Parts: sequence; C-alpha cells; structure tokens
Amino acid sequence: MKSIAFIFSHAPHGTSFGREGLDIILSASLTIQDISIFFIGDGVFQLVKNQQPEIILSRNYASAFCILPLYGINKFYFYSDSLIERGFLEKDIFLLDIQILNTYVFQEKLSQCEGIINF
Amino acid sequence: MNYVVIVTRAAYGTENSSTALLFSRALIDSGHKLNSIFFYFGGVLNANQMIFPADDECNLVKYWEDFGFQFKIKLNVCISAASRRGVISDEQALRAGLQKGNLANGFKLTGLNELSEAIQKCDRIVQF
Repeated sequence: MKSIAFIFSHAPHGTSFGREGLDIILSASLTIQDISIFFIGDGVFQLVKNQQPEIILSRNYASAFCILPLYGINKFYFYSDSLIERGFLEKDIFLLDIQILNTYVFQEKLSQCEGIINF
Repeated sequence: MNYVVIVTRAAYGTENSSTALLFSRALIDSGHKLNSIFFYFGGVLNANQMIFPADDECNLVKYWEDFGFQFKIKLNVCISAASRRGVISDEQALRAGLQKGNLANGFKLTGLNELSEAIQKCDRIVQF
C-alpha cells in the first residue's frame, strides 16, 4: 500500500490512542510515501494549542504533531461539522496549518487512500 | 490477498481480540495470506502469559499462541506499548530487577517499523 489515511476520532489524554497513534505515523513516515491525517469527532481536540496535560498526569505529545511536516507529512484534514459542533470557529487555535473539509470532500479524500487506520 | 491484522484491545473485556482471531482463522481457511498479526494499544495485553481464566472459559492467549504456531504466523507485539502496560520479556524483567517476564510463548516484541513495512507490502489492513 502506498497511501494510508490515519483517522483520529478521540480527544487527547482520555485514551492513549492519540499518543500511540502518533507513534505509528512517525514510524510509517519512513516507509509509506503518501500519508494523510484526518481529524473527526472529538479527534479535532488533538491539535489544540496550549494543552497542559501535565496537570492531569498525562504526557504532552501535541507538540510532536508539529514535527510531522519535517517528515514530509502535510495533509491534515479536519471535518468541518465536528469543528462547528464543538465551537471551534478560528483556525489559529490549532498547532498546524489544517485544511477544513465539508462532508463530501472529506469522504472524497478518504476514499483516495488505499488503507485506513483508526485511532 | 495479503492481509495485515491489527489488534487494539485486550484479551478480555471487549470482543475485539476474539473477533480478530476468528477473522484471522477465516483468512487462512479461505486461502488468503497472513504473514503477521500486530498487537498494539491495549492489544498488547493479549501477550500476557499471566492471563489465567477458569477452565470453562476461553483462554485467548493460548488460542493466539496455537494459531501462530500452527500456521507459522508472527505474533508481533509493540515493545513500547507493551512495556507501558506491563508485558515484558525475561531480559527486560532482569533489567527491571524482576525475577521473570510475562511475555507469552510465540509472541515477539518488535518495533513499529515492522508494522510499517508490513502495511507497505499488504493489500488489506483490518483493524480490531
């Protein structure tokens, strides 16, 4: 498989899916050329700036998302409805330059990937 | 077709692991290729040798062991996810000052690069 989609659908820190999912992406970036990352549902919280998870005894891994562009990963797709439902109306509260997609385009981008892994 | 199966939940508590086992058996029965299975996230707990259910209950750890052995399928366990969850090899146990590790027979601790390479080579990924 040459193109893989990774989907984040859980908020950070409540489960380890975000942190361990990010580990898979970092490793996959060395062997898989075309990686897209999708954020849907509570997954949109993953990239929120100014997280302070140390207070709740969790590890601050959000900044590690910022090194993904150095690994050639630049496709960060956010589902527009999930952002609206959660009151995220400004793009600059996120750590990376994200693309916000409506239902149709989101599905379209996802269907272009050969494999999908969910976190 | 060449498949990769990823197990993300523990042996007991959710149905994910047992469904993954049944699916993997079905793959082999129908002539597909399954080189390795990856245990990641809570799925690493499937490699805990100390899982010891009552006699009239399924022991998925044993079932996975037998399946891997019978069909020569690698049971890969992510080493960092496993150490966080208390599944360690004898060598790691020694370093931690413990008498013995608890990694079940037939399972192998590996890095995530093994998973990435398997994904690159496969036709289908199925995640449980």
